Amino acid sequence: MSVRLGARDVSRAFGPVRANEGVSVEIRAGTVHAVVGENGAGKTTLMRILYGLDQPDSGTVVINDQPVRLRGPADGIGHGIGLVPQELAMIGSLTLLENLVLGTEPRSGPRIDWARARGEAEELASRVGVELPWTALADNVSISVRQQVEILRALRRGADVLILDEPTAALAPAQVDDLLRLLRGLREAGRTVVFISHKVDEVLAVADEITVLRGGKVITTRPVGDLDRTSLIELIVGQQVGFTGFVPSAVTGDEVLTVAGSVSLSVRAGEIVGVAGIAGSGQDELVERVVGLRPPDGRITLAGQDISTLPVDRRRAAGLGYISGDRRSEGLSMDASLADNTIAGTHRTLGRHGWLKPSAVRAYAKRVLDGYSVRYGRTTAVARTLSGGNQQRVVIGRELDRDPKLLVAAGPTRGVDVLGMTYIHDKLRALRDNGSGVLLVSEQLDELLDLSDRIIVLHGGRVAGEVPGGPASRTAIGTLMLGRTPS
Amino acid sequence: MTVSMLGGLLMSALLLWTPLALAALGGLLHRVSGVVNIGLEGQMLTGALVGAVVSGATGDWALGVLAAGAAGGLIGLLMSLCITRLGANEIIAGLGFTIVLSGLIGYLLRSVFDVSGTLRVAGLDPLPRILGLDPLFWLTIIFVPLIGWSLRNTVAGLRLRATGDGFDAANALGLPANGIRDIAGTLAGVFAGIAGSHLVLGQVGLFNENMVAGRGFIALAAFYFGRARPLPTALACLLFAVFDAAQARLQTAGVPAQLIQTLPYVVVIAVLTATAVRGVRGRVRRAG
Amino acid sequence: MSVCPRSNPDKYSRVLTSGFRAVVPFVIALVIGGAVLLATGHNPLAFYQLLVRESFGGTDRIAATLSAATPLLFTGLATAIAFRAGVFNVGVEGGFVLGGLTGATVALHAGLLAGCVAGALAGVLVSALPAWLKARWNVDEVVTTLMSNFVVAGLTGWLVTAFLQAKGVANSATPLIPRSAWLPDLLPPYGLTSGVLIALVLVMLYAVWIKHSVLGYELRQTGLNPRFSAAQGIRVGRVIIVSMLISGAIAGLGGAAHALGVVHRFVDGFSPGYGFTGIAVALLGRNSAVGVVLGAVLFGALASAGTTAQLFSDIPLDIVDVLSGTVMVFAVIRLWRQR
Repeated sequence: MSVRLGARDVSRAFGPVRANEGVSVEIRAGTVHAVVGENGAGKTTLMRILYGLDQPDSGTVVINDQPVRLRGPADGIGHGIGLVPQELAMIGSLTLLENLVLGTEPRSGPRIDWARARGEAEELASRVGVELPWTALADNVSISVRQQVEILRALRRGADVLILDEPTAALAPAQVDDLLRLLRGLREAGRTVVFISHKVDEVLAVADEITVLRGGKVITTRPVGDLDRTSLIELIVGQQVGFTGFVPSAVTGDEVLTVAGSVSLSVRAGEIVGVAGIAGSGQDELVERVVGLRPPDGRITLAGQDISTLPVDRRRAAGLGYISGDRRSEGLSMDASLADNTIAGTHRTLGRHGWLKPSAVRAYAKRVLDGYSVRYGRTTAVARTLSGGNQQRVVIGRELDRDPKLLVAAGPTRGVDVLGMTYIHDKLRALRDNGSGVLLVSEQLDELLDLSDRIIVLHGGRVAGEVPGGPASRTAIGTLMLGRTPS
Repeated sequence: MTVSMLGGLLMSALLLWTPLALAALGGLLHRVSGVVNIGLEGQMLTGALVGAVVSGATGDWALGVLAAGAAGGLIGLLMSLCITRLGANEIIAGLGFTIVLSGLIGYLLRSVFDVSGTLRVAGLDPLPRILGLDPLFWLTIIFVPLIGWSLRNTVAGLRLRATGDGFDAANALGLPANGIRDIAGTLAGVFAGIAGSHLVLGQVGLFNENMVAGRGFIALAAFYFGRARPLPTALACLLFAVFDAAQARLQTAGVPAQLIQTLPYVVVIAVLTATAVRGVRGRVRRAG
Repeated sequence: MSVCPRSNPDKYSRVLTSGFRAVVPFVIALVIGGAVLLATGHNPLAFYQLLVRESFGGTDRIAATLSAATPLLFTGLATAIAFRAGVFNVGVEGGFVLGGLTGATVALHAGLLAGCVAGALAGVLVSALPAWLKARWNVDEVVTTLMSNFVVAGLTGWLVTAFLQAKGVANSATPLIPRSAWLPDLLPPYGLTSGVLIALVLVMLYAVWIKHSVLGYELRQTGLNPRFSAAQGIRVGRVIIVSMLISGAIAGLGGAAHALGVVHRFVDGFSPGYGFTGIAVALLGRNSAVGVVLGAVLFGALASAGTTAQLFSDIPLDIVDVLSGTVMVFAVIRLWRQR
């Protein structure tokens, strides 16, 4: 028996999006196998299929060299496959021990045998070399600890193949090291680990074999020895599409934004300032403080005016634009009409004596939607009916049409295809060249390097350092993101 | 106030406590599973009628109590199914069920029993006394620590808590979260039904369509006050029962009964506010 | 990554589905009510025919139906406004009752107009505390508004017996309001008062206001997606408070109109749950103006026809509660599933 878990020619489409196309992988028993690729490369779809959460349109899942049909996660569990999802299934008000045994409690009659549960927990923990505060509430421990419990739970339920979906996304560097050590421990205990990630360094540090996905297809599977950092990045990114290359700002003017507090920075007119950092390093807090959705922890000025205590509408009136990183629940109101989505924030200036004239609303919405090439039927259609890229254009149009002095753009191309990405990048540069300031927060390093004139790197809620834009800063950013200083 | 007056007050408070605490414990179980049960009032009324009729027909109080529990449980299950399977809003379903049940019972009284509002059941077997108090009182006394212990230490208790606090997580772990809620809803109905039967068999001796008189909502107030923990909830019920028992006595001293009746509700608003304020403050501190 | 294909239903089919959604709960209620009637030896079809005749068969009956619908127009509208802003206000009953007592008392001394204004203000008073608690501290408005109903019930009972009791009346009631302060009758000799006109005007204002005013826009957006609204600069807390205060004012005005038009005083049992039926009205009408009118008329028809049907058959009025309660339970299923 060599292939513990695999896929043979698996395809899966969601509407027009081909998430997996003829994907074949072979994961050998007792190895750590990394599946890498950019956001949207099809990693999560593949993992859901391998676990039984989703079924392929064509092709089969292979378990122990045999093709099998997984009808649901129960089948996957039955074959000894465990999934540690990104959204951990941990219940905050229960203790770690309670979370561990929930659903498969050791019992004596109706009672839970707590002594035995505790014994099993300690035994499992020592086998993989971790120590856990079993009586602490899950709410009161770090994500890293919760993740370890989740892993132990999968093991306790009999999994000998563990699939971890982007397990390091929300972890601090030290915690990442702990996790990687745990994964190696699992391999030594004879388990198989499937490690999904888009972070090159982690993958190279822990994996035996690496499968690269791009655009829903397998690019290659190679032993880790055949790869180095550069070659792996090239394989993941492929030919650079959607990036027009770094074009620095021609002229910069006065400061349009200054932030002083736990994070301090400034943005000048005619400048794009990027913000980088691993997820949860303080980006969300920074954005929410600038926009006015979170109480300030210092002084914020917009074009010289102190806006720290102003509500959102007054900040917008002072020249702030905001592209939310959460399009589905903050950037757009999915069940509201396109017109209502477009006039949001401008509706007070559109109104006359407290009334909105329907024809004026329609005309305004049409002008904005047409101006930003949104493909739509009527302005009364609800936002949900548009494709993701078109939805984002509605947001872009709404925010840029007001010609903001400062635009806060959080993940402006998230979930947008290559064509849409180029379009949005062009618009952001045009805004900058028109003399506006842009604060750009993004998880995509290439986007930051390509667009930003300067990049601020956050780590642990503070500024770790600043680098100039352009491809040369890539390594320095990576080091700063981990909280180290570049040599 | 003399000692005997105090003793009398305490005895009537304990008598009033039993149905409140039973219904509140039922509501508490439902709450722990993640559903706010606003239908206790109607379930109590159903239990009261069924308890009266069955006790009268069989001449056995125990059968009356069991039948009341069964009827309440059936209603509780139906209500829970509306919530878990049809996606009804729990608040509206609770209010709607209470309206339906009080309408149905008024209808049955007038059209089948041919009485207007009050039903005297011949041969009704009232609850006996054990050590001066009825068996349902002692049962409730046992239930308070038993439920507390079970929630902590049994498989059912753990799963109930898990469903309430992490519905999706429980589902993801393969627990039948909706089914667990249905069981909790049924139990709430059983408790409320038995509580209703106590009003007839343990207190008044006849059925009246207005006899529950908001006790289901006071029970709701009690488990909110007790933050869904058995002992504090039972103590809240005791407090409300003392208000109720003292009402008549205080009224002669010039304190209006209607105002005393509003106390449980005022207390709940105050407690909710205090909890929310603490929650917001706590969050701010953690974030900052 | 997944793309959820979703068709854009045209307006015609949208109207059809929402009509269907409103009919289903009624059908279920008729079936359940029919089962109860059958089980107790009555012919449901004959009874339902009687109901229809007694609610719409003739000017007098239509007047009675509209009269019964009037308080429900107020409470339904009050509920709908709060629901539209995403505030689950179940405290309209309390506003209605306090509005009734206040209206009746003020009108006794200061006349019709003052009575109406005072009633509306009383309703505002009832909704103000839950509104502020929700907006400022995010206190769950469902429980606070529900509880406020009972607080108001006790408070009004006390106020009447302690201060406002009419002399020589057995049950607890305030003195009869002088005829000059009554809401004028619309269709004498039928008991339809001009209260229904006030209610209908309010509903029409609501229809226009919610759709075309700046505040109405903010209210709709807050109800649909408060996070989005806050990010676009809508002051969500303020919108919540405004919606609750308007809701309270309409509830209180409804109580005053009921006192000044129909009961002509405040008595114990002033509202047989108009506020709660108003929830069903708003849900069934999906918080729209037209829906509220239709819902109020349907429930009004049930109530008025049930009352007279009780006289002609030996079927107790309580069957109407069975029907309307069932509609309430099932109306919700439809509304919340589409979210």
